[in-house]
Amino acid sequence: MQSEIVLEKPALMEMLVRVLKKSRLMAPVKRGRVSFTFDWIGDSRQVVTDYVRTILPPKKALVPPREILLEFWREGKQGASPVIDDTPFVLFGVHPCDLAGIEELDLAFAKKNDVKDPHHAARREAVTIIGIDCMPDEYCFCTSVGTNRTRGGADLFLTPVKSGYLVEVLTSKGAALLGDTARTREPCAHEKAEAENWGKEKECRITRLLDVDVARLPDILETQYESEVWERTAKRCYSCGTCTNVCPTCFCFEVDDKVNLPLTAGSRDRRWDSCQFLDFALVAGPHNFRGERPSRVRHRWLRKFWYLYREFGRPFCVGCGRCTQACTAEISLTEVLNEIAGEVT
Amino acid sequence: MQTKSESVCQPSDQLLYVPEMMRIIGIRNLTKLDKLFEIELPGKRNLGHRPGQFVELSIFGFGEAPISVCSAPQKKGSFELCVRKAGTLTSALHQLREGDTIGIRGPFGNGFPIECMAKMDILIVAGGIGLAPLRSLINHILAKRGTYGRLTLLYGTKQPSDILFADEIEAWKANEGNEVLVTVDYPSADWEGHVGVVTTLFQKVTIDPENTVVVSLVGPPVMYRFVYMKLLKLEIPEDMIFFSLERRMRCGVGKCGHCQIGDRYVCVDGPVFSGREIKKMHESI
Repeated sequence: MQSEIVLEKPALMEMLVRVLKKSRLMAPVKRGRVSFTFDWIGDSRQVVTDYVRTILPPKKALVPPREILLEFWREGKQGASPVIDDTPFVLFGVHPCDLAGIEELDLAFAKKNDVKDPHHAARREAVTIIGIDCMPDEYCFCTSVGTNRTRGGADLFLTPVKSGYLVEVLTSKGAALLGDTARTREPCAHEKAEAENWGKEKECRITRLLDVDVARLPDILETQYESEVWERTAKRCYSCGTCTNVCPTCFCFEVDDKVNLPLTAGSRDRRWDSCQFLDFALVAGPHNFRGERPSRVRHRWLRKFWYLYREFGRPFCVGCGRCTQACTAEISLTEVLNEIAGEVT
Repeated sequence: MQTKSESVCQPSDQLLYVPEMMRIIGIRNLTKLDKLFEIELPGKRNLGHRPGQFVELSIFGFGEAPISVCSAPQKKGSFELCVRKAGTLTSALHQLREGDTIGIRGPFGNGFPIECMAKMDILIVAGGIGLAPLRSLINHILAKRGTYGRLTLLYGTKQPSDILFADEIEAWKANEGNEVLVTVDYPSADWEGHVGVVTTLFQKVTIDPENTVVVSLVGPPVMYRFVYMKLLKLEIPEDMIFFSLERRMRCGVGKCGHCQIGDRYVCVDGPVFSGREIKKMHESI
């Protein structure tokens, strides 16, 4: 299934109105003066099509910051039953880097060891994803990690053209969503060229680059395990965990129980955790395998560009720039990598 | 809509994080802080574990934690967990009585390499509560005594009152082909045995480095370094040395990220790793 059509701007809005009548819709909305977030949409006019990045990645639609895994009862015949959210929804306006993030969550939650996380799987099955192309700012470095043209994970993908959007119909789910939208037409040759140029211009506008081929990073990091860069970076880091929270590919979670007031029932919840937090690798004793901040800082980079790269065959970074933009200590993910690479080249 | 489903007729994936309720049918006080819980599976099924594997134990409202199985696979219809009262969950467990129910998921992990131990001498080095998972292995070896060579157990605790399974240790000692040495860091007035950390016992036994598999569970983690150095001095090959690692774990199925060491996950790739593997794993011990 792969075809291309053109959807003019009013037709896109009509489609979103139709989506809202049938199901829930999550899309980028304006939050602050210059910030955007993915949010549940009440009115299709809230939807923003032109933005650089949202504060949190669309990960929050598939693995929410906090969710109930199971409900339990403590009295009488004790037991528990899973809480699975499989309500269909549409996720609109996902940029290529965030599509890559969704693919990488799939690897971690569904493909790894052939064990499917049922909560992620149900939402993944329930969602229809509409991607949209973007123009970068100074934090973006998608071209260095090869995600600038990602389509994987999307059911429809939109590239802005003068007349509206060139739509790549990538799955039958995507085709079904277009359904009987009458106002679609075949793209003409100049529209196809326009869309192609969009991708090229985007590549040209990227200013943030890795100094080395990303494929070399696992080997480089392996040799630079004891590098002073980790110590130096850690001196500025507050271990606040913002970098991992805003990351589209960070998937570590913590689990805790909540109980109702008469203590008869409750729920077991999971929430996003961060390897930057002091207690992340704490065990009985107490012994902490990463009790020193440099080791936690190092773990983040090694995990993304060595451990998970080796495990899944791709870097667990999509070049979205969120961690660098959000860091209160102005620690730059690419600068740290470039410093490390500079030590060996 | 959030669908609540009854746990009985769901594909297993849906129940990935849902524990099965099991009954405590026996509780034995081993020390002031350690209790042995015997847990019966519904329908008196067998847990079907390998020595060295662990389960995730739940008490609803208090949480879930990984606990190594303490009984041998030969024990049918029930299994045992030896748990030290340490945190919130284990304190809540210590409050429970026979007949109470707890939640269990698992067994998880790789377990000890019992296949490659066949016909070999076995050296077991245990520290403190590290003996609990090793008891599963020891009882397995004794149940299949002819399959394995000599069994040497070196066991160290802080003080004599911390010694676990004292009665069974006497029985293991009595068994032909076994050698059991116990040491304590701080002897009591009536202690007549060895004094010193567990590594001081190495000089008291004879090990054939060409025909011995070593399995060790000691703590705190830095103790592994001392045990490892002793073993290398004895010229035991590093792929004949196996350590079981402890980590914070939330899921047991390689998803939550807490137990990651490099590109390995202790919950699915471990908890048992060979010396050769551990040497390459940063932050492992």
